[in-house]
Amino acid sequence: MTGDSRITRRRFLGGVAGGGAAVLGGGRLAEALAAKSAPAVIQGGGKLTYWGGLIFSDEANQLLVDTINAWGKENGIETEVVMINQNETNQKVSAAVESGTMPDALDMGLDLLLLLSNTDQLVPLDDLYDRIGQAHGGWYESIDASASLFPGGRTGIPFGSSGNLLFSRRDVLEAKGLTPPPQTWQEVSDWSAQAQDPPLYGMGFALSNVGDGNLQISVLQSYGGRIADDEGKTVTIKSEETREYLQWVSDAYKAGLFPPGVTTWDGAGDNQAYLSGQAIFIANTGSVYLTAKEDDPELEAATHYAPLPAGPKGRISPINPNFRAIPKTSRDVEAAKALIEYLANPEFMEAYYNVAIYGPVLKGYEGFEVFTNPVHSGLLDLVKNGTAPGAPDVYNTAFADFSANFIVPKMVQRVVIDGVSLDDAMDEAQQQGQAIYDKYK
Amino acid sequence: MIAGRVQPAPRVSRPRLFARGQRLLIYAILLIVLAAILFPIYWMATISLKLPREIYRQPSLWPKIVTLDNYRVLIEEKGFLTNIRNSLIVASSVTVLCLLIASFAAYSLVRFRYRFKGVIGRLILFAYLTPTSLLFIPLSIIVARLNLGNSLHGLIIVYLTFALPLSTWLLSGYFRSVPAELEEQAMVDGTTRIGALFRILLPLSAPGLVAVGIFTFTGAWNELLLALIFITSEDKRTVPLALQYLITGDVLLWGPIMAGAVLSAVPVVVLYLLAQRFMVQGMTHGSVKG
Repeated sequence: MTGDSRITRRRFLGGVAGGGAAVLGGGRLAEALAAKSAPAVIQGGGKLTYWGGLIFSDEANQLLVDTINAWGKENGIETEVVMINQNETNQKVSAAVESGTMPDALDMGLDLLLLLSNTDQLVPLDDLYDRIGQAHGGWYESIDASASLFPGGRTGIPFGSSGNLLFSRRDVLEAKGLTPPPQTWQEVSDWSAQAQDPPLYGMGFALSNVGDGNLQISVLQSYGGRIADDEGKTVTIKSEETREYLQWVSDAYKAGLFPPGVTTWDGAGDNQAYLSGQAIFIANTGSVYLTAKEDDPELEAATHYAPLPAGPKGRISPINPNFRAIPKTSRDVEAAKALIEYLANPEFMEAYYNVAIYGPVLKGYEGFEVFTNPVHSGLLDLVKNGTAPGAPDVYNTAFADFSANFIVPKMVQRVVIDGVSLDDAMDEAQQQGQAIYDKYK
Repeated sequence: MIAGRVQPAPRVSRPRLFARGQRLLIYAILLIVLAAILFPIYWMATISLKLPREIYRQPSLWPKIVTLDNYRVLIEEKGFLTNIRNSLIVASSVTVLCLLIASFAAYSLVRFRYRFKGVIGRLILFAYLTPTSLLFIPLSIIVARLNLGNSLHGLIIVYLTFALPLSTWLLSGYFRSVPAELEEQAMVDGTTRIGALFRILLPLSAPGLVAVGIFTFTGAWNELLLALIFITSEDKRTVPLALQYLITGDVLLWGPIMAGAVLSAVPVVVLYLLAQRFMVQGMTHGSVKG
């Protein structure tokens, strides 16, 4: 049994491209790359500390650590790379900002970048952003729009893009004569009703107060609903379009198409439902693909990956870029910039994408072979055709706060759990949302 | 003839029957409670022995294929023994220091007379009641200024600030239950006050000390939030932090997580088994005094 597991692991590792293997072989690739393109002069002083975002792939984490350390060695800079669990980045950064112990550079998501940019914690990186863009074929439009969201300049250098794809159980659907993917959310619920057989349920989408629950914002928007007006100041959630969305989700819930407990799921709820064979459809950024590929290849083979379905008013499939940034407290901004510029080199990024589930951010990366596999190609498609964060709403601090308070999943819960009328649920969401937006007027 | 007489069946009196029924009912309830308590532990242990596919796709009460691969991953790939060592250093140091300082503090509160003694005693209790989540940012500033961040000794000092108030309060209650006359007698016989503390009061308070020690050890062993804030390096992570790092994004490595839970429970279980008699005695004494 143990042997089987090891073989599977080897198969998995063997399946990823040579970059990852080189890293496993002792960081030789990282050293080679560092020697190849190290900048000539860096104002190296003390130790350069980098907080990398810990992701599911150990190989990707190790590659980042080895590459930065090799770069430091080549340039005579002592480096310390600490991988911070992304689930805890906010707490770590909050404490570090207050105590003045921020690293010299770090990885972060869009929400934290917005927060730190608005509180003037980060170094403007427009020059670096432009230089990297020009060197590697230019930034994708959706990535450029995300990086340019904040007044006062760009403070983050994108390095990878994620976003939700629709995972479908091809085997279950095809047994019912249905060929994935469903094109609309209405088809998702209709197909679920046809194909589900409890304990295998159709719609494995969280309706709870976690990040996954905010997928419902995108679904609501695809029905034509909006969180706020075009100014991003007045909440407009109460509308006929929102009513139509609420009616759809309420009908699906009452028809028993969601697995039990979706209103209280944590962030791993959809992963576990899908991996345990309790859901036909989930929306996931790729972690389920990696897990299934390693632990349950049959399930991985029986899975179809596609962009999120459309609603009556179009497809809303937001991208979620990740950034590298430099705090203003950095002891060596120039060295940190040089490191970030170096990390954008295609050799490293190809090796990194091979073992991490991210879509590309620069057009020069599009030819990497990894973007032909099912999930990575879906992420590439998302970068090219997906919607900007928050769109069609304005992605500002109020929108981020609105999302962090899970107003839309809570509105759905009021209808499906508490039995509140659609109008009352929308009124409550409208009031709660406006109270949040008023804080930022 | 005596041999021909039919012996009447022995009659069970009604009260005895009732008592027997009552006992059966008590055992039945205890069994249910025991099952409710032990089942999660059993489930944790069995998950730690299962392959990933069996954890998700074929859940069963007993592993179809028993594997130690989760333990191998945890120990070989994740370096979990380092985390256990770190936790042992932190929890043991906090416990020893806490018992020492809290003993002096509690002794002072119980045996000496000075101004504001009552206020100080209450303030100590209030310090314990302040939620940790409110204190982590102020604490992080202090820790950074003292250059104690990302170090085990920094974590030990931080934990002491939370463990000392409760320990002092519990020990105060226990010390009050020991007659002061015993120490006075020892001092009449020539020992010093410190000598009376160490030779009379502390030995007589052994159950209380053990209870407070275990309570402090368990608290430091299980603490997550402060470790998350103050520890950055991988080689300085404590057990709860290492387990937390097995959750990356929305992926939970259930096998290694449960293997880690089993391994991390062992020291605490052993400690409780060794000291459970003192634990109950000590806690009940401390709780009703003071």
